Amino acid sequence: MNIQPQMARHGRERDVHHVEMRGVNKRFGEFTAIHDLDLSVGKGEFCALLGPSGCGKSTILRMIAGLEAVNSGSVFISGVNVTRMHPAKRHIAMVFQSYALYPHLTVRQNIAFSLSVAGASREVQAKRADEIAGLLQLGHLMDRKPAQLSGGQRQRVAIGRALVREPEVFLFDEPLSNLDAMLRVQMRIELAKLHKTLGATMIYVTHDQVEAMTLADRIVVLDRGVVAQVGAPLELYAKPANKFVASFIGAPTMNFLAITPTAYAGRAVTLAFDSASASASPGLTVQARNVPDASSPPTEIGIRPEHIAITNPSDRRAQISGTVQLVERLGNLTIVYLSTAAGQIVAEGSGELDVKVDENVGLVIDTARTHLFGTDGAAL
Amino acid sequence: MHSTSGRYVGLLYLAPALAFVSAFTVYPFLQMIWMSLHNWSLISAKKYIGLGNFVKAWNDPQFWTSLGFTFRYTLYITPILMILGFLIALLTATNTPLRKFTRGVVFAPVVIGLGASSLLWYWLFSYDFGLINRSLIDLGIVSKPVLWFGADADVSLWAVIASIVWKVVGFGTILFVAAIQAIPGEINEATMVDGASYWQRVRRITLPLTAKTILLVTLVSAIGSLLAFDQFYIMTAGQPHNQTTTAVLLIYLNSFPYLKLGYGSALSLILAAIILTCTIFQIVLTRRSHG
Repeated sequence: MNIQPQMARHGRERDVHHVEMRGVNKRFGEFTAIHDLDLSVGKGEFCALLGPSGCGKSTILRMIAGLEAVNSGSVFISGVNVTRMHPAKRHIAMVFQSYALYPHLTVRQNIAFSLSVAGASREVQAKRADEIAGLLQLGHLMDRKPAQLSGGQRQRVAIGRALVREPEVFLFDEPLSNLDAMLRVQMRIELAKLHKTLGATMIYVTHDQVEAMTLADRIVVLDRGVVAQVGAPLELYAKPANKFVASFIGAPTMNFLAITPTAYAGRAVTLAFDSASASASPGLTVQARNVPDASSPPTEIGIRPEHIAITNPSDRRAQISGTVQLVERLGNLTIVYLSTAAGQIVAEGSGELDVKVDENVGLVIDTARTHLFGTDGAAL
Repeated sequence: MHSTSGRYVGLLYLAPALAFVSAFTVYPFLQMIWMSLHNWSLISAKKYIGLGNFVKAWNDPQFWTSLGFTFRYTLYITPILMILGFLIALLTATNTPLRKFTRGVVFAPVVIGLGASSLLWYWLFSYDFGLINRSLIDLGIVSKPVLWFGADADVSLWAVIASIVWKVVGFGTILFVAAIQAIPGEINEATMVDGASYWQRVRRITLPLTAKTILLVTLVSAIGSLLAFDQFYIMTAGQPHNQTTTAVLLIYLNSFPYLKLGYGSALSLILAAIILTCTIFQIVLTRRSHG
């Protein structure tokens, strides 16, 4: 069966960028939801738009789909300017957060709906619907209506309805957010397999960093309608461009502590915690990404919980000490909330970590993996 | 397990509603059945005649004329109300200021009394002074005024239909708008992405998803039309030759001016049976649509 995305319906000027947005602005009344957005998604790429609620990620997807008008700027799909084109003519398919299945139609009719409105014969509709059903294991549910399906089954029907159109681009708007945790993991794996099978371009909106990290080839992190950073999942994790990305990627979230640099030596920065009683001895020396500019010094250090080891207070390696306030045991790992002279810190240890509430502990910071941020939040 | 006293408390809560229904629905209905079996002119003594009034109705040409006319009126006006109401709802379902205003204008006549609106339209259709005749002449559609009431039953019927459509189309429109707005926006967007045209969306998504409301409005409109009285009483008075006398107007004429209370009750029972049949039909249809 042919489930590859249809190729070259239009003349293509820019195959590298399968979907491209140039200088796109979107306003809702006085509120600017998207500000001067430039975005490009390569052919066959799985791109996740990640950000908190209200950051404009769904608006971007809806503008690509043609369900939301663009105030200024242009949207290109396969090199064709589709900014003013009707959604049906853009060769896209969309899977909605609520699935948006037609409640009065059976699974078969839902999947074949687009073929039916396009005037395909009943035989063609049935054949294509059966092919899609086979791929998504929906065969035994074809005569049921959406109300008779579970959340995961509905999600598969919604994907089936998208597949049958043989689109050039798949758009997913938080498709797993209505599923329970277990089913979400299962559907995540199925989506990853589907992407591998189809090799189609997929743009996936989510506020769940785990979904974005596990599924996407590339993640676009959005902050209040502006792209905060674009990169591969591990790149965003290891080298966040700013404090927003650093705080959004990773769970538990990164620790941020106020610091004052005391000495520079190339990329090495020696610093003291701002808290008066902090006893970083003899002073913490970390590596900045670039040689720091003394006129715009780092003001905060970011340390991921997994890069802080808990040890005895007497351990010479410990740069700082703290008191355990709360211990969360997750089985495979332990999250420890600490009060230190430098501020509140969250550390992560193994499942067997032996700590108790109110216990004094020493903390060993992996100085090779810290992040420095300036006053504007940019990573230095 | 509920205690006996608990059961009585429940009954106590129900008592006002039960008393109301008993006094104003059950008792009058039973009284009507009893009256339908008698010959009673209010001023003379009642005389039991069994099913005599029903036999009389069967043999009464005016009964069949009235019933036929009422059905004809219902069959003509119901589709007009449904189609026009739905089209206006489609045009005004989106919440923009102009569309909201249009909905308000269309709905406004619904809150006017039927008697008042019938009088208004009676004067609009006036032979000598009516705005409608004046407009038709000025537009060159007719050369001399049309005698809307009293001459031709069909002309009278359409004049009344025009007035009632103006009066009640807003009722269906508002219910249709509510049903259309209840369809999730993402479903409409999915049809757009799926390539459905506007009319394909209306036919294959909007209509099926508003079917229950359509059935409800059809039933309410049909029952209202089968019970038509005020508009014909005021605008045609049943003329010409009692050809526009509706079933309820016939019941009124027999019961009050002619004081044939038993015959009027029998006619009321027959009409109630017809409406009950329509209601059962609607319930069956609704259940089927649920399935």
